[in-house]
Amino acid sequence: MSVLSAQSRRDMEIRRYPLLVYTLVPLGALVLQAWLPRVAGRYEWFDLPLLVTVFFALGRRNPLQGTLMGAVMGLFQDALSHNAIGINGIAKTVVGFLAGSVGIRIDVDNFTIRVLLTFGLSLLSSAIYLFVARFLLGLAADWNWLTELLRAVGNGVIALVLFPLLDRLRVRD
Amino acid sequence: MESLFSRYRNLVVLLALLMLQLVGLAVQVRRSSSGESTLEPTDAGGVRLIRLWANAVISPPERLIHSSTTGMATMWSNYVDLVHVRRQNQDLEHTVDRLRLEQAALLEDARQGERLQAMLGFQQKYIYSTLAAQVYGSSGSDRSHVFYIDKGWHEGLKPDMAVITAEGIVGKVRDVFPHTAQVLAVNDSTSGAGVILETTRIRGVLRGDAVGQLEVVGVTADERIQPGEHVLTAGGDLIFPRGLAVGVVKKVVPDPDRDGLVDIILKPAAPLDRLDEVLVITSTEPRFSPEQEQDLSTSAAEQSAVPAAIKDQMKASEIMAEKLPGLIDPNLPPDQQPLHDSTNPDPATQPPRPLHPDEFSPRANDDSGANPEAGSTPETNHPPAASAGSGSGTKPSPKEKPQTTLPRKP
Repeated sequence: MSVLSAQSRRDMEIRRYPLLVYTLVPLGALVLQAWLPRVAGRYEWFDLPLLVTVFFALGRRNPLQGTLMGAVMGLFQDALSHNAIGINGIAKTVVGFLAGSVGIRIDVDNFTIRVLLTFGLSLLSSAIYLFVARFLLGLAADWNWLTELLRAVGNGVIALVLFPLLDRLRVRD
Repeated sequence: MESLFSRYRNLVVLLALLMLQLVGLAVQVRRSSSGESTLEPTDAGGVRLIRLWANAVISPPERLIHSSTTGMATMWSNYVDLVHVRRQNQDLEHTVDRLRLEQAALLEDARQGERLQAMLGFQQKYIYSTLAAQVYGSSGSDRSHVFYIDKGWHEGLKPDMAVITAEGIVGKVRDVFPHTAQVLAVNDSTSGAGVILETTRIRGVLRGDAVGQLEVVGVTADERIQPGEHVLTAGGDLIFPRGLAVGVVKKVVPDPDRDGLVDIILKPAAPLDRLDEVLVITSTEPRFSPEQEQDLSTSAAEQSAVPAAIKDQMKASEIMAEKLPGLIDPNLPPDQQPLHDSTNPDPATQPPRPLHPDEFSPRANDDSGANPEAGSTPETNHPPAASAGSGSGTKPSPKEKPQTTLPRKP
């Protein structure tokens, strides 16, 4: 993983996107996340809101925006489920913050790094979810680590395809 | 202070957001009497509002996608994918002809069955008001097995209504919005339904496990439980009517938490991960077709007519009693009284003559002919022979009513 110096960090390009992209892409991710499991059946090993959070946080290189984006996406996911509102919110808030923070320090144009980051952040999101649900709240949350691992792999694979597509939507100078 | 905030702005915002969400979570979770933490069974006002907003934002595009894909699939199958349709059409026409003949025979049986069912009072099973709804979305998470249907409280839906398909049970309505509703599937770990095994009659509680499999938990180990056995709803949970299909026993595994108990893994009867259309049971009141209603009213009229018929019969018997000739005809000599009729299969027996008669003994004064009514009572069913023989010359007065063997009144 190539770690950048302070000078090169300053020189790095901050990716900007049209406002419509900031609105429609997260909305599309939430809608597809709710709709696709009907098609995929039990093979719903993906988390599109997480991918969108990671993508924008890495691209913007801004922990604050990543945090807010993660919080909004997580809260929406919680609101659509029957679980307590805030569990996914906390998980994705942390993920957004970390992705934004890491984006400052590494070269996020490298696909391999982005995929590996997505894989790692996906596992972290699952771990935070479990921690909040089971240890902070004391809820009896059933868990299957194989599913979480498969979801992380699925997210990595989808990121490989999705991120280049979303890169095309950025505003070029 | 300002510089401190701007320096740690990202961290401050992160901590503030985390704290806010933690406080929100603490409000939603409660500790039960057994010391376990559970979610509030019904959402508080604020939480419900957030769900309503999220639903209002996500549902319209989701329904749009759903309807467009359905429309595209319909277009594809109806207008494009028509290979071998002509051949299939011919085959189907032959099948229809054959089925029409069978249907004609079965229809009459079915009608008769419906009438009998209504008349026998089998009203508690399978006759409910249902509302068809289309599934258009899910929670998007395998940690929450809920899905959304396109009917809400405007269409009469309420929480805790059972959701089924023709194959079996699916879930229950959890949250109702104006035109949509959230359904908690039976394979969610927070779901619960009372079930019974069809042949062994063993009862248990149905729920979902971590990977969304259906299982009956907390069942005492029993060798009779075999794969392939059908599981039905028990009806005790006040949500699902009894007797609906739940699934088939796939395997039996030991309960990891409790010794001596087993968990029964089921293959669901309804395709829980590929639902398109479902039925919501909106009322458990019996619903009959007009023909069945007519049968029921006929049956009720017949039942109410029975006491009236009995009363009429009793009245008729009284009239008959009045009109029937008595066993003592005052105009006939004693030896020709009906009591001496040899054709009478049950003639009144004469009391035995006493060995040492006194003045109170019946027929004691036969020879003297005095006191001809001695020993007879007006209510006696079988008039004593003394009465019968009272015609030894003495005729009763014309005003005297002839006695009868029939009871005056039951």
